[in-house]
Amino acid sequence: MLAYIGKRLVIMLPTLLLIMAVGFFIMQLPAQDYVSQYVARQGQMGNTTAMLQEELLRQQLGLDKPPIERFFYWFFDFLRGDWGTSFVDSRPVTTIILERLPATLAISSLAFLVSWGVGIPLGVYSATHQYKTGDVALTTLAFIGIGLPDFLVAMFFLVAAFLASGQVLLGLNSPEFVNAPWTLARILDFFSYAWLSVTAVAFTGMALIMRVTRNNMLEELGKPYVLTLRAKGLPERVVIWKHVFRNALHPLVTMFGQVLAFLINGFAITSAVLNLPTIQSVYLSATFQQDIFLAGAILILIAVTVMVGNLISDVMLAWLDPRVRYD
Amino acid sequence: MTELAAAGALAPATADADAGTAKVLSVRQLAWRKFRKNRLAVFGLVVLALMYLSAAFAGFLAPYGDRETHAQFARVGPHGLNLVDTEGQFHLTPFVYGLERTMDRKTFKQVLTVDTEKRYELRWLVKGAPYTLLGFIKSDVHLFGVEGDGKLFLLGTDSKGRDLFSRILYGAQVSLTVGLVGVALSLFIGISVGLITGYYGGWFDEIVQRIIEMTLAFPQIPLWLALAALVPPTWNSIQIYFAISLVLSILSWGALARQVRAMVLSLKTSDFVRAAKYANASTGRIMFKHLLPGTMSHVLVVATLTIPAMILGETALSFLGLGIKPPMTSWGLLLNEAQSVQVILELPWLLFPAVFVVLTIISFNFVGDGLRDAADPFSR
Repeated sequence: MLAYIGKRLVIMLPTLLLIMAVGFFIMQLPAQDYVSQYVARQGQMGNTTAMLQEELLRQQLGLDKPPIERFFYWFFDFLRGDWGTSFVDSRPVTTIILERLPATLAISSLAFLVSWGVGIPLGVYSATHQYKTGDVALTTLAFIGIGLPDFLVAMFFLVAAFLASGQVLLGLNSPEFVNAPWTLARILDFFSYAWLSVTAVAFTGMALIMRVTRNNMLEELGKPYVLTLRAKGLPERVVIWKHVFRNALHPLVTMFGQVLAFLINGFAITSAVLNLPTIQSVYLSATFQQDIFLAGAILILIAVTVMVGNLISDVMLAWLDPRVRYD
Repeated sequence: MTELAAAGALAPATADADAGTAKVLSVRQLAWRKFRKNRLAVFGLVVLALMYLSAAFAGFLAPYGDRETHAQFARVGPHGLNLVDTEGQFHLTPFVYGLERTMDRKTFKQVLTVDTEKRYELRWLVKGAPYTLLGFIKSDVHLFGVEGDGKLFLLGTDSKGRDLFSRILYGAQVSLTVGLVGVALSLFIGISVGLITGYYGGWFDEIVQRIIEMTLAFPQIPLWLALAALVPPTWNSIQIYFAISLVLSILSWGALARQVRAMVLSLKTSDFVRAAKYANASTGRIMFKHLLPGTMSHVLVVATLTIPAMILGETALSFLGLGIKPPMTSWGLLLNEAQSVQVILELPWLLFPAVFVVLTIISFNFVGDGLRDAADPFSR
């Protein structure tokens, strides 16, 4: 088992290297770099002197060197923990990321908990009440969740909340609390505000988990051992939760990584719509503005998260199911 | 259909046992039977067929052209057909009431009033904006519309006064096909890579597997965003369209290649492949004639389930302004107008494209599930 984890970790290193290289060069590819965008913007505002400083600016930001050279500088700096400086607000990338890390972690872990904690029970309910009204309603909801683009889910939640409360629940805190210290009042405010973002982010993942749970449960429920258990006179609760559910859990574990990736993916766009102070929304604006160090660092962070998620899901599967071979 | 079906070599060999009474079904027929049993899959297939047909004939079906603006009638809500007029009288032909833009004397606001005095009957095959159907049929006849000053805005108009229903039909041409082009690309790469690595194996296979692992570990949407930002804004619509489908397919070929490889690995030791080898068949022939057909059913399932992700991807990219750019239009671009709560509350009909997106995605999922069952027609 340990050897298996070790092997997987070793494989992750070259993968990470490749991801870094690909990520860096994708950021380099556009014909328009940050400086030319900046100069064009300044020119539009009537500031023509920026045009003359174009080369100087590029030298200052180190954009005049060949890409390969810059990659190696960036790469080794990155390993040493120096992730570069953002072009746009000229602060270190690490500061910007750390600043937004708490909110990002809070929302993603809450969304992750909600999507599993709600999705699984609903899926089990759906399977045990197949074709009843509740199941039909949940199935419809799940299909809408899967079919609706994430950003629209967020939109609908916003509109519904507005119609219900007359408030636009953008962001994570009401305006008066945004810069306040974390007191109890702010925490309460956070929950009265953030439930919307969390539910919106969790919705698609929840729908997915619900469907998979339902399918697995139905498949297990059709097996002969269930008949035996029922014939033995075991209470239905025990049959469902102790036997069927445990067997139905395995395929869900393989989904762990997938759902994680899903949350991270969907998050990028939902964050932008809901105006959340997360890493993903910075990524979006950094991509738009060719702020390459910032966008690159976030891309790598996200990739690492997805990779670790996949590893955890594989390890959990191997741990849960002795039939899985480590190779 | 009482005659004995002349089944191909693939048919189960029960024909001679009770010839005359039993009908022998080919694998394909069995699969189709199984698919038909899945009601949702058939529903999905019908919906998709209708969607693609209406996208193909968008010019004919849409009452207006996709760029036709009715400047006077911006932000008009769905202005539908009526059968019964205000006096409670029933009309056999559906009609729309006239619309009039007037200035409110008190607030100086433009208000839109429905003029129930004026009735415009729905006409079939009316002349309107010229269009080109399927790329070569030029015409200006629209299936339905109203004549004279009447306006028919089934799903309302956008802020520039363009008919949303017509634009959804035109948008379907992009939204529904961008996934197909993307899947076709990833099918091509995935199948070739899967066949070659599965058949030859060795160090090449190892390297390719590591690369695939990397693409699978890559976060999809952030990479799509980064790549879509690469598309130069100066490109024309067609170039952007293909660039976006390329972006969408860049990560999904890996999963397909893996599936194909796994199937080739199990198929290549089977007797028919050995027989082909002894018969001096070339490697290419073995790969494409003998191995490829064996993988097709699963490839089809994976492909069907990949399309909705790509359609959603296009929608998301266009919504953020990184995807399809005007004058071309797509469902994501149409939804791009509905960016804020205020707009949605004021012009809720701008969300109609979302209904089409959801319907398409669900249908593809249904069809994919049905195909998955049908891919293994001998299971119960």
